[in-house]
Amino acid sequence: MFQRFIAFILLSLMLLPLVSANQETSLWNQENSLAWEYDFGTGYISTSPIYVEDKIIVRTSGNSEPAVTALESDGTFAWKHSNLLSKNNDMSPLLSVNAGEGVCGTWPDLLLVGWTNGVIDALHPSNGSVYWSTQTEVAGWGITGAASVSEDHVIYPTRRGVGQFCLADGSQEWWAETGLGWRNGVGLYDGSIYSGDELGTLWKIDLDGNSTALATFEGKIRHAPQMTQAGLLVHVQSSTSSTVYILDPVTGEEHQQFPAGPSPAMPVLNGKYAAVADSINLQMLKCDTMCTVVSQIPFHSNGEIGWQNESHLIVPHNTPESDWGSFRFDGGQNLTLELIETGISGYGTAAPLWFSSNGVNYTVFGNDQSLLRVYQSNYREEIVDTKDINWGTQGIVFAAYVLLASSAIFFINGKKEFFLRTFSLLLVLILLLILPELSQVWSESIDQVLSEPSTSEEWDEQWPDSWLGTQVVIFEIDGEETAFGGFVGYENVFTVTEAAAEEAGYSLSVEQTGIGMYISSIDGVEGKGWEYDLDGSKGRLSADNTEIKSTSIVRWTPV
Amino acid sequence: MFEAMGVHGPTLSPFASLVLDVALLASAFWLLAKPTKRPIMDSLFLATLVLSVALLRVVMEPLPNVQPVTVAALLVGAQLGARRGAAFAVLVAMISNFFMGDGWWTLFQAVGWASVAVAGSQLSLITPSGLNLRKAIFASLAAAVWFDLIVSFSILDGTIGFTDFITYLIHGIPFDLLHMASNLAFVVWLGGWFSGLLEEQPTLEEIEFAVVNGHGIDG
Repeated sequence: MFQRFIAFILLSLMLLPLVSANQETSLWNQENSLAWEYDFGTGYISTSPIYVEDKIIVRTSGNSEPAVTALESDGTFAWKHSNLLSKNNDMSPLLSVNAGEGVCGTWPDLLLVGWTNGVIDALHPSNGSVYWSTQTEVAGWGITGAASVSEDHVIYPTRRGVGQFCLADGSQEWWAETGLGWRNGVGLYDGSIYSGDELGTLWKIDLDGNSTALATFEGKIRHAPQMTQAGLLVHVQSSTSSTVYILDPVTGEEHQQFPAGPSPAMPVLNGKYAAVADSINLQMLKCDTMCTVVSQIPFHSNGEIGWQNESHLIVPHNTPESDWGSFRFDGGQNLTLELIETGISGYGTAAPLWFSSNGVNYTVFGNDQSLLRVYQSNYREEIVDTKDINWGTQGIVFAAYVLLASSAIFFINGKKEFFLRTFSLLLVLILLLILPELSQVWSESIDQVLSEPSTSEEWDEQWPDSWLGTQVVIFEIDGEETAFGGFVGYENVFTVTEAAAEEAGYSLSVEQTGIGMYISSIDGVEGKGWEYDLDGSKGRLSADNTEIKSTSIVRWTPV
Repeated sequence: MFEAMGVHGPTLSPFASLVLDVALLASAFWLLAKPTKRPIMDSLFLATLVLSVALLRVVMEPLPNVQPVTVAALLVGAQLGARRGAAFAVLVAMISNFFMGDGWWTLFQAVGWASVAVAGSQLSLITPSGLNLRKAIFASLAAAVWFDLIVSFSILDGTIGFTDFITYLIHGIPFDLLHMASNLAFVVWLGGWFSGLLEEQPTLEEIEFAVVNGHGIDG
């Protein structure tokens, strides 16, 4: 009796935290916990951070040093790029562009930053150095809206127009005059660019830079127009209220309008659904051939709306003592709200950032408190790849289980010889299964323990500037160095070496070995073999098994 | 891992390869050049054995460092004696490398397996009741490590320092483990059968004894 009573008490105590948790904290707060925070000291985080090359990149302004700062996934500082000439407050969203090539040239992975003094900086996300920088027009302010990428160009809204710039060098290809704009982001749909202005004019610009006024409203358009299936969605702000319009994207004819509250947020789409918000409500619209409001919840938001996935949004609550709102949406008409606590209450307009690292999901919050808080999901993501089942491996795994069971049975029954037979086969199978990863992990561990101090490969001032931020390969043949650069997007030492050899006109002799590709001769030079250095450190794995960065320097030397 | 860095042993010229192959072949014939009572049958048996094991090695090439030759050399050495075991090892290394890739390393593989065969002949693995499995297991595990060590010396071409060599050896430990595990499997599954197969042939010592006795009777 006494034992049962103690068990009852203990069980009750164990359940207590769950009950109190349900009563006091939101579901989101139960599912997530603070991982780390970073204090910028001063400044506002007015636009969503972005996650590029394993770095969280945050824009801060409204202080003496407007900047873009990169933090590692664990919160350690990586780099900072400041613009002391910025006019504050900077709120143009950061834009990440993958490496590529087009008619106007090639470019590495880029982070594009538009500033209120009209400057566009293209930075290397890995180290924050400037790849190119260009000045656009300024009329009191410069760039405040969202840009958009079109093939090998980026289209930026400036204060009085829209310009197209080459991603390879930042050169301006055209600039189209529109009206005076503020947070006048551009939307690019079906070969046409749409942007609004402070006088309520919606502009349509073709890809040659010819602008026409598509429609005019009484109010201001302070977001990038969104294209729904029912037409172009524009949220027009007037002095005491706002209106959501659905327009014909070709003629500008008004199809629908929905009344809304003052100071609208920037609308976002997710499939058929559009979320719009203002100082009174957050509304969910479903847009097929027509748009209909399927749900609305009282909420005060005036900035970016973060749509994590089709069933979950997190939106900043832009009031002095408020936090973020977590909206669950079932895809029908049920939209529910719970307020979440991030520990940085206050004015905010930046949507959160979501990213995953090592199977853990993170949510990043920042607002006008100049404090970045990173939360991690309490549940580790199960990565299940059912697409490519390797039946050979599955067969070996099955055989391993059979052998394991047999070994156990023989061992228990004292049949030593049979046990040895099944157990030895089991050992071989297991080692065969894990050997590739085991040897790689083992080698990397050994290298970390035994490796010589690496000497970083220095940038050669004689190399052309166009190689900055790209991959470079150096061949040492007959005591002479020959470098080839400007390579972008190559993933490992072998592929970039192949590309460099092709550009150089060198022949490569390659042998496939059990542990990877072995380069036996370059340009007919065999010697005693070839070895490579990657960014100043000796290569330890085969060339095709060694991943490289977007700015790596590979050096091949004969042994 | 050093293979990735270009450490692959010296590259032999065609002439050097020819000299190496001739030297290995000559040593194999020298090892076999002893009078036997049944020279044709013995040679045929050994040739079959060599070809079978060489073929087995070629077939098992996709499995990294699974080396059936090591256990075979150990047991051939134990059953047929050091000379035939060493000759067997040299010939298997040469023939299988003819298909898998010949080079400087062939010499080290031949030496490695030949030394395993010699060790096998000295370890009293064969008892009147057959193969001593316990001894054979320990010998096959040690043989894997020994062979891998001998073959590792093939990377020493004057450009590799002592530290690099040790690093290379440590890098190879997962592969050594697989060699050991596969040797264990070979011994416990096939050791008794293979040993019995060889048992039907008289050892070199028995043959010599028979030859001497035959001459004595004739005289």
